Amino acid sequence: MLIGIGASDGIGIGRVMIIAEQSLEYTPREITDVDSELARLHDAIDKFCDNTIEQANAIRQSTGEKEAEILEGHIAIIRDPFMGGEIENLIKANQCAEAAVDQVCKMFIDMFSGTGDDLTMQRAADIRDIRDGVLGILLGVDEVKISDAPAGTVLVVKELTPSMTAGINKENIVGIVTETGSRTSHSAILARALEIPAVLSVENATTKLSSEELIIVDGSKGLVLIAPDPVKIEEYTAKRIAFLREQRELENYRGKATLSADGIEYELFCNIGTPKDATKAMDADGEGVGLFRTEFLFMDRDRLPTEDEQFEAYKQASLIMKGKPIIIRTLDIGGDKEIPYLGLAKEENPFMGFRAIRYCLKNRDMFKSQIKAILRASAFGDIRIMFPLITAVEELRAGKELVEEAKADLKASDIAFDENIKVGVMTETAASGVIADLLAKEADFFSIGTNDLTGYTMAADRGNGDVSYLYSPLQPSVLRMIKRIIECGVKENIPVGMCGEAAASPQMIPLLMSFGLTEFSVSAPSVLKVRKNISKWTKAEADAIAEKVMAMTTEAEITAYLDTVI
Amino acid sequence: MVSKKVTLVNAQGFHMRPANVFASAMGKYSSNITIKFNGNSYNAKSLLNIIAACIKCGSEIEIVCEGDDENEALADAVERIESGLGE
Repeated sequence: MLIGIGASDGIGIGRVMIIAEQSLEYTPREITDVDSELARLHDAIDKFCDNTIEQANAIRQSTGEKEAEILEGHIAIIRDPFMGGEIENLIKANQCAEAAVDQVCKMFIDMFSGTGDDLTMQRAADIRDIRDGVLGILLGVDEVKISDAPAGTVLVVKELTPSMTAGINKENIVGIVTETGSRTSHSAILARALEIPAVLSVENATTKLSSEELIIVDGSKGLVLIAPDPVKIEEYTAKRIAFLREQRELENYRGKATLSADGIEYELFCNIGTPKDATKAMDADGEGVGLFRTEFLFMDRDRLPTEDEQFEAYKQASLIMKGKPIIIRTLDIGGDKEIPYLGLAKEENPFMGFRAIRYCLKNRDMFKSQIKAILRASAFGDIRIMFPLITAVEELRAGKELVEEAKADLKASDIAFDENIKVGVMTETAASGVIADLLAKEADFFSIGTNDLTGYTMAADRGNGDVSYLYSPLQPSVLRMIKRIIECGVKENIPVGMCGEAAASPQMIPLLMSFGLTEFSVSAPSVLKVRKNISKWTKAEADAIAEKVMAMTTEAEITAYLDTVI
Repeated sequence: MVSKKVTLVNAQGFHMRPANVFASAMGKYSSNITIKFNGNSYNAKSLLNIIAACIKCGSEIEIVCEGDDENEALADAVERIESGLGE
C-alpha cells in the first residue's frame, strides 16, 4: 500500500497507465544565425499557444471556465514581455533556443519556489509546464496522448500538469496518482473539478507502480492499494458504490432546512477565514457564518490594517452572505504566530501566554478599531461579535465596555451600525467551561471552540505524537465540559453553537443535539453531510445515546459504543 | 516622473488573474511603470515580475510612472488597484 495526500474524494479501481517523463535533454550549442534562431523560437511559442488554446477549449467543455483560465494563463506567461525579452537576449548572445528557454524558465522557477508563498510556489509548476511544452516543440518530441487511454485507466504521473488534464476523458480515467502536489495545488483543484478520485504526493509512484497493474485509488483517505486480492476489490467496489450513492443523496439535502428526524430545527453555519470564503459558504448551502476568523487581515503585511480596510472586508463578507448571520471573532493572535510589526515577544509557552483577548485588551486602540470596523459592517447584515479565549468574566466585561465606547464614537460621527449587536464568548478554555454559568448571565451567545477546548482541558497538544492520544473531544472530561457549557447557555436562554471540528463529527452530533446545541458551524464541504447526520436522529434517540455515553468511564469505551450506533 | 502609494484590497493579492489583467493594461502605456514593494522594484508590465513580488491583500505599494503618458498610466493603475483589480 502506498500513502499520499487524498486530494479528490472517491474510490477508483483500474489499471495503471504511467505517463513517463519525456526526455527533454538537449545539447547546448552556439548558434551563428541569430535571426533564424529567433524565428525558431517564435514558431515554437506560436505553436505552444495554439496547443494551449486547443487544450483550454477542451477543458472548458469537460471541466469548466475557471480550469480553462488556468491554462490560458500559460499564454500570458510565455507572452510576458519580460520573459520574452530575457529569452531573446540569450539567443542574441548566441545561445540556442532550447538553452535560452530552459535557463529563463529555470530562473523563474527558482524565484517562485523560493518565496515560501503557497500561491506563488504553485506558479513554479505552471512555468515548468510551459518550459516542458516549449522545449518539447523545439525538440520535436511527441506528446503523450492521454486522450487515448482505455476505459478503467488510473493515470500515474510525476506531476499532473494543466495541459495533461486537458486530455483527460472523464469516462475513461477512474483515478489519478501523482508524485507531487498538495490539496491546494492545481492538480488537486483540477481532479476535484473532474470528480476523479486522486491521491497526490505518493513518493516514487511512477517507479513503484507498473503499467497495466491493477490498483485501487482511495482519494478520500489518500491510499493506493497495489494488486488487491478479490476480497479487497469487492470491499472497495462496495465502498465506491456507497460513495457515489452518498454524493447523490447529499444533493437532496441542498436548499433544505436543517431538521432532526422529529422536526427540531437547527442552524448550520460555516467557518471562514477570508471574505472570499463566504462565497464557498454560500455555494455549500451554509445558513450563515459561525466563525469568521479575522487573522488574515493582520498577517503577511508590515503594519496594522486600518479601520477602513477591516470595515471593507467585513462588509464584503456580509454582502456575500446576503443578510445571513455572521459571527466575527476578534483577533486571535499570540506569540506562536509571526506578525513582525506587532512586536510580540517569543514566549516559553505561547498557548498559555499573551494572546487573543488578553493581547487585545492591552492594545485598546487596535482592538477598538477592529470593533468599530465590525460595528460599521453591522449596518450591512446580521453581524455578531465574538471574543476568543475568555477565561474570566472581567474580560467579557472589558470587551463589552469597549464595544459601548466604540458605539458612542460612531454615534458622535453619525455613522450607522446595529445598535443591538450581539456580543458572545468563544468558550474554548477550561476556565470558560467551569464558569459558563457566570458567563452565560452576561454574554449574548456562546460558541464552543472544541479544538482548543479539547487541548486546554486535556492539557495535551495534538501536534505532539507522544501525547496526541489524549487529544479527543470524546474524552469524558471534554464531553462534560461541552455538556456543561451548553446547559449553562440553555439555562440563561442564550443560544449555544459549536465552531470546532467536532461539530461535523457523526459521533458527536447526536450528543450535541441531546445537550441542547442550537447551531453547528462546520467547514463548507461538510455542510450537507452534517445536515444529513442531524436528520438521522430524533431528540429521544439522541438523548438515549447521550445518557449511555455520559455514564461511561473511558474514551475507548465511548468510541467503541458510538461506533456501534452511528 | 509621478508616483502614488496605494493599498491592495482584493482578498487574494496579486495572484495570477489580477496580475495578468493589470500587466496587460499597463502594457498599453509607453511610460515605464514600476511597482515598488518591500524595497524592491518590479516591472508593472510583466505578469511574472508582479507574481514574483508576492504582494498580498492589505500591502501598501508605490506605483511609479515615467514617460509621455505617465499621468494617465498612474491614474489607471491606481484606479485598478483601488477597485480590487476586477475581483
